[in-house]
Amino acid sequence: MNIHTTPQRTPAETALIDAFSDRLSLLPGDGTVMLKRDDAIEAIKSGLPTRRIESWHYTDLRRLLTSVPDFDTAAAPKAIAPVVEGSAVLPVLNGVSSAKMPEIEGIAVQRLSEKLTDGSIAPGLDLYGADDAIGALNMAFVADGYFVDIADGTELDKPIELQNLQAGGQTHVRLSVRVGVGAKAVIVERQAGEGAALVSSVSQLLLDEGAEVMWLIVQEQPDTATHLAQFKAHLGKNAKLTLFVMNAGGKLVRQEIVVRTTGEGADFTLRGINLLAGDTHTDVTMVLDHAVPHTASTEVIRNVVTGRARGVFQGRINVHQYAQKTNAKMACNTLLLSDDGEFSTKPELEIFADDVVCGHGATVTEIDHSHLFYLMARGIDEKAARGLLVKAFVAEVIEELDDEAIVEALETRLDGWFAAHG
Amino acid sequence: MPAVQDTIDRVRKIDVDQYKYGFQTEIAMDKAPKGLSEDIIRFISAKKDEPSWMLEWRLEAYRRWVTLDEPKWARVHYPKIDFQDLYYYAAPKSTPGPTSLSDVDPELLRVYEKLGIPLREQEILAGVQKTDASELEEASDNVYKSGRVAVDAVFDSVSVVTTFKKELAQAGVIFCSISEAIREHPDLVKKYLGSVVPTSDNFYATLNSAVFTDGSFVFVPKGVRCPMELSTYFRMNEKNTGQFERTLIIAEEGAYVSYLEGCTAPQRDENQLHAAVVELIALDDAEIKYSTVQNWYPGDAEGKGGIYNFVTKRGDCRGHRSKISWTQVETGSAITWKYPSCILRGDDSSGEFYSIAVSNGYQQVDSGTKMIHLGKNTSSRIISKGIAAGFSQNTYRGQVSAHRKATNARNFTNCDSLLIGDQCGAHTVPYMEAKNATAQFEHEATTSKISEDQKFYVMQRGIPEEEAIALIVNGFVKDVIQQLPMEFAVEAQKLIGISLEGSVG
Repeated sequence: MNIHTTPQRTPAETALIDAFSDRLSLLPGDGTVMLKRDDAIEAIKSGLPTRRIESWHYTDLRRLLTSVPDFDTAAAPKAIAPVVEGSAVLPVLNGVSSAKMPEIEGIAVQRLSEKLTDGSIAPGLDLYGADDAIGALNMAFVADGYFVDIADGTELDKPIELQNLQAGGQTHVRLSVRVGVGAKAVIVERQAGEGAALVSSVSQLLLDEGAEVMWLIVQEQPDTATHLAQFKAHLGKNAKLTLFVMNAGGKLVRQEIVVRTTGEGADFTLRGINLLAGDTHTDVTMVLDHAVPHTASTEVIRNVVTGRARGVFQGRINVHQYAQKTNAKMACNTLLLSDDGEFSTKPELEIFADDVVCGHGATVTEIDHSHLFYLMARGIDEKAARGLLVKAFVAEVIEELDDEAIVEALETRLDGWFAAHG
Repeated sequence: MPAVQDTIDRVRKIDVDQYKYGFQTEIAMDKAPKGLSEDIIRFISAKKDEPSWMLEWRLEAYRRWVTLDEPKWARVHYPKIDFQDLYYYAAPKSTPGPTSLSDVDPELLRVYEKLGIPLREQEILAGVQKTDASELEEASDNVYKSGRVAVDAVFDSVSVVTTFKKELAQAGVIFCSISEAIREHPDLVKKYLGSVVPTSDNFYATLNSAVFTDGSFVFVPKGVRCPMELSTYFRMNEKNTGQFERTLIIAEEGAYVSYLEGCTAPQRDENQLHAAVVELIALDDAEIKYSTVQNWYPGDAEGKGGIYNFVTKRGDCRGHRSKISWTQVETGSAITWKYPSCILRGDDSSGEFYSIAVSNGYQQVDSGTKMIHLGKNTSSRIISKGIAAGFSQNTYRGQVSAHRKATNARNFTNCDSLLIGDQCGAHTVPYMEAKNATAQFEHEATTSKISEDQKFYVMQRGIPEEEAIALIVNGFVKDVIQQLPMEFAVEAQKLIGISLEGSVG
């Protein structure tokens, strides 16, 4: 079990290291950025994480990442319509941002390649821990993305949609958003494409005092793509973040969510849906730090597992010693619909303060037979009855979002998945 | 928060030095030289008059152990253990000890009295030499009104006495030290030893396989309901020794046995190592109930000294409809690393785990269970209550898994933590792995302090604060205490009281 081994580099590790030396001259960045890239590739050289690394226990990246495609600069993904009609779209096509910026009052958008070249993004590139393999991969290769600044007091009436579209090869993208004091926004992060790509995408969100944001991650990669993503947020005083994550695609997916409450009164809500089918592996890992007193969080994750899919949810809530009066609740419910599917969950609580109310619940089960009987007794055939129950199980989470246009748009995505995966 | 300030202050003031079992028993010891090598293992094996297969088994484990690294995943921190700086064998010398209780330090007797240990048993524990074991049995017979308990007392490396052997033998039950079992019942030992926890299992289990010196052996034959509770009392006495005991319990078809384990150690500045392995085997329709009250020395108020407790306990529900139940009350040890597990191999088998882990001072507890569902229609239940006070860290780490063929696996897990003071930590790390669609797993965990509402409700009825807290804590752990056999339930409640002295009156 603990026998010493001298790890040999896997083909994927070798491919990444070679790709780095090939791409190095093309990567934007000043001295600080380039030094960080060097550190990052060193981390990759020491090996991709295995199940021996606790945070990667259920996703042995070293074993699962079997091949790494070459960069394909010629590939051009097709443009897609935004999830919510009328959204301002900021597309990143095959890893390259658009030079054409939308003109919206109170919003300043910059291409991330510029921020890398002048080094002004450098402080934000830091990894959040020794096991941050996605951060390292992204830091080594990131070439573009967007930096969006929403000015103090701005209230957007239409969502902003950040699209990261791939057409095969490798894309490494970073989306950075700052929301000013008291500003309000809805931001959609769209992850899709059509190739067997390796995608690394890191989103960073900074909420100033009293800012309110609903951030929706809609991930619909094809079942040939490897999608390694990270969402990092800092919540200032009285800031409110509702994060919705929908994973409905990808061959190997890891979505990390790293949230830290840094101001009193901050409130974090996470709602997640993982729709898993085929022979795929999807991992959602959340690390939530309650670092100051009087902050609250609730997380609800619903998973549907079909086919030979493997699902993982890891959720760690850290309550720091100083963070008294924290209120944190987490639930992870899974419907396991096939005998070949599997789901592993690890909801963790790490609590160093005493005056807190924290709890978590997790369930794994199949469809309740009494519910099925209830519907079938009313003349609904079994297949339709099952469909209804499964849809109701996940739709419940969407309906909570309290924004009609968004709920409708997401339910359309949901219906699309059910139509494709029955 | 301010309302429990008083309690917190008191808890802070707790002098962990008041460890009531901190006596050391001055008995002349027979020790092997310090360090670990094949020669030491040969020495231990020779001392125990073991057959050659046993020695081979140990050596194989040792050769594997030298290739292993210590596991690092648990939430416990301690300086690196120098495994060459320990004595791996220490036995009370056969020179006569005190011949009657009047020769024993009266201070020591007072402590036993506090603990409520019957007189005759005190003699055993104090090392009073008796030539006639039956004399002890008769005496203890009178003492235990609520039911008799057969005791196997293990001092450091060896089992010093086992009571009630004769009566148990009449029922067909074998209860003896494992060394004796290796000599007297080699076929049984050969068949079952290492079949639940193989020598290759983990770092500490492998070490234990190489150097274990004693422990208990229980064999309950087909259809027999063990006529009394069996119990082992462990005591680590000698300086710088590691205690490595090995317990093997086998319940044949339809058999039932309830086994109790209690441990204490003297107060010492340096850390002592305890790495035990317990294997339980339940065949068709058999039931084993294993209860532990662990009260090794936890270290002083500055976190100096104390026992490092690295234990591998595992039960194998090998037969259909078999049942294994673990109940533990963990109040001692500087470091606890312990995960009593159940392998639910037989169809319709069930596993239970009830735990109370109390930590205070600088104690670190990382404990929990594993329920591995392999057979059909298996069920498991986990109730864990953690209470953290002082500067302690209390972690529940548990795994529930259903394998592909484990249809209709059921699990219910509930782990609650109570925090007393803002310098301690309570953590919950459950792992749930379902590979079968018919599995039904439920897990819930909460962490909180004693709520003001609860306290107010009780105090409003004229109960003083300290008593109110005691009442609430007792209620908090009630689910687990109820699972303990009578004698242990009383001791456990006392222990929790001692461990949290000041906060629970």
